[in-house]
Amino acid sequence: MKKIIKNPYSHFILLGLVLLTLPYLAEAGAIRNSTVTVIGTTIIYTIAALGLNVLLGFSGLISLGTAGFMGLAAYISAYVTETMALPFEVAVMAAIGIPTLLGILVGILSLKFEGIYLGIATLVVAEILREIFINVTPFTGGATGALAGRPVLAGTFQLNRIQTYYLIVVVMVLIFILIHNLTKGHLGRALNAMRGSEAAAQAMGVNIFKYRLIAFGIATVLAAVSGVLYVHYVGLSYPTTWNLMLSLDFLAIIVVGGFRSIFGTFIGSFIIFAMSELFLKPIPALANITPLVKGILIIIFILYYPNGLANIKHQVSHWLVRRKGKRDAFGQTKAEKKNLTRAEVRENDTV
Amino acid sequence: MANFIGVFLRSLEYGSFYALSALSIILVYKTSYTTNFAQATLGMFNTFLVATLVMRQGWSLYAAIPIGIVSAVILGVLIDIVIIRRATKAGPVGKQIITLGLISVFLGLTPIIFGVDNLSLPRFVSSGTLTIMGTPFSYNALFNILFGIFIMLTMFATIQKTKIGLAIRTTASNETTARIMGVPTKTVTMAAWAVAIVLSMISGLMTAPYSSVSLTFMNDVQITAFLATVVGGFATFHGPVIAAYGISVLLNIFQVYMPSGTIWGKPLLYAVLLLIMYFKPYGIFGKQRLKKV
Repeated sequence: MKKIIKNPYSHFILLGLVLLTLPYLAEAGAIRNSTVTVIGTTIIYTIAALGLNVLLGFSGLISLGTAGFMGLAAYISAYVTETMALPFEVAVMAAIGIPTLLGILVGILSLKFEGIYLGIATLVVAEILREIFINVTPFTGGATGALAGRPVLAGTFQLNRIQTYYLIVVVMVLIFILIHNLTKGHLGRALNAMRGSEAAAQAMGVNIFKYRLIAFGIATVLAAVSGVLYVHYVGLSYPTTWNLMLSLDFLAIIVVGGFRSIFGTFIGSFIIFAMSELFLKPIPALANITPLVKGILIIIFILYYPNGLANIKHQVSHWLVRRKGKRDAFGQTKAEKKNLTRAEVRENDTV
Repeated sequence: MANFIGVFLRSLEYGSFYALSALSIILVYKTSYTTNFAQATLGMFNTFLVATLVMRQGWSLYAAIPIGIVSAVILGVLIDIVIIRRATKAGPVGKQIITLGLISVFLGLTPIIFGVDNLSLPRFVSSGTLTIMGTPFSYNALFNILFGIFIMLTMFATIQKTKIGLAIRTTASNETTARIMGVPTKTVTMAAWAVAIVLSMISGLMTAPYSSVSLTFMNDVQITAFLATVVGGFATFHGPVIAAYGISVLLNIFQVYMPSGTIWGKPLLYAVLLLIMYFKPYGIFGKQRLKKV
């Protein structure tokens, strides 16, 4: 039993099960229907942010192009299902394959860039994509946006809004497990080494070229998956959605949630996207201050809590140990030491 | 030929918008070691202040500008004291994300303080055109070009020839050593933030008459300015400024002389710049910083 509780897979599955109950709660009237929609979108953003977290958190490579890749996948999926009228599965393959190839190409370019140069290079790629979204109207619908229906699985099962939500939750749990496995294994160690020092990692036999490409590949695949889910869940895609601000929001998620943490990414995404939608926007007086609160949160977290909310688990356990009292080399707490007799103290000293 | 001169002069005018923003970015980068993503948003905030004074309170533009400058300086000092100075523990990426937080804060503050409507701003020189070799050209554009070049030259003269400039250059090259040598690095950083925000505001005031004062009207300028800093390299002060004028000329040439250039000029320019970045990853004027392992 303890093994099952400690197993990280069961944590992910439990989170998935909790999220799956939300539509029932909405039907029972405990929460509003719009809440489920907001949570669904938040999960979609979590997936893209997780990709960026693998890239930035593990390998230390910054990307400001996440929104561009996500948008590209959304438009391809909408185009393949609506205009070309091909099955959903084909759309998914095209919408993940094409951005991933592009992402790997950026990875090849990235070998030349470091730090902020890389950030701006990826920003340039995203801006080129955004110009394409605005101007290639036959493909993207231009400023009026592209429309997409809910997914039809295997050509027969037409999903409705709630079933699409289930699909999103299932995809999220699968991706969490996959990323957990990848980062806990050889790949995670190699990326960690690369972040510490590229030269040292190279000396230890880590192929920088290969792992940079893999890191960019993972980030783009997850951005693409999230883009596909977005366009079929929300139903449309405007060029204005996929701008720099969205990429910056993904960065904020990682900072608030915590680098290299899967649950942290989820919590961060909840705070950045869902909290303002659920708690601030319904109150008219507070609706306008959403970006203000978001910005202040980001700054406070960087200044005073740079490890993110994922660190809270360690801090709580640390605090509990301290409350119980720190034990010294003899296994005595401060409170116990106060009660020692002089002879006992001397005995301690001579040991 | 007349057409070309018109294109070239327009490039110079837009070049000054980009160059002012690029100089603002590089000043902060050199003294605080962070790329200031909030540059455009802070410029937008102060432009909104000036536009509100002019449009809502009926002030003259020239009376409102000093108020804008004072507000920009106060903002710069506050941001440095309250946030940047305390971010010693944050790494380079952490500091960048702080500036992203600033974007969000000011995007939230602006509609609360100045209202949600877009404003318009008059030109510096309200009327009059002159003809240069058969090309009609407004006095305002000429003023923008000359004023931009004047600010650049003043800044470079200050940085290269004066004691203040020496303090900025030492802080930029090595902050710890500069502090040991008695350079007040904290004051230098604070002043750099203040000047950077004033430069952004001037760039905003120049851009605003050609569009409207909205929450996002500076974004295009900011992205081009970032490209200019990367293509010019973060190593020097003059690199980004020269690159900004160069990019502006290239963009206008692509947009005017290419078939369907108004649509594809910008993406093509971005692709060309990406290629330049690939072959010159530390900028045209930059050099690689060697680091020991």
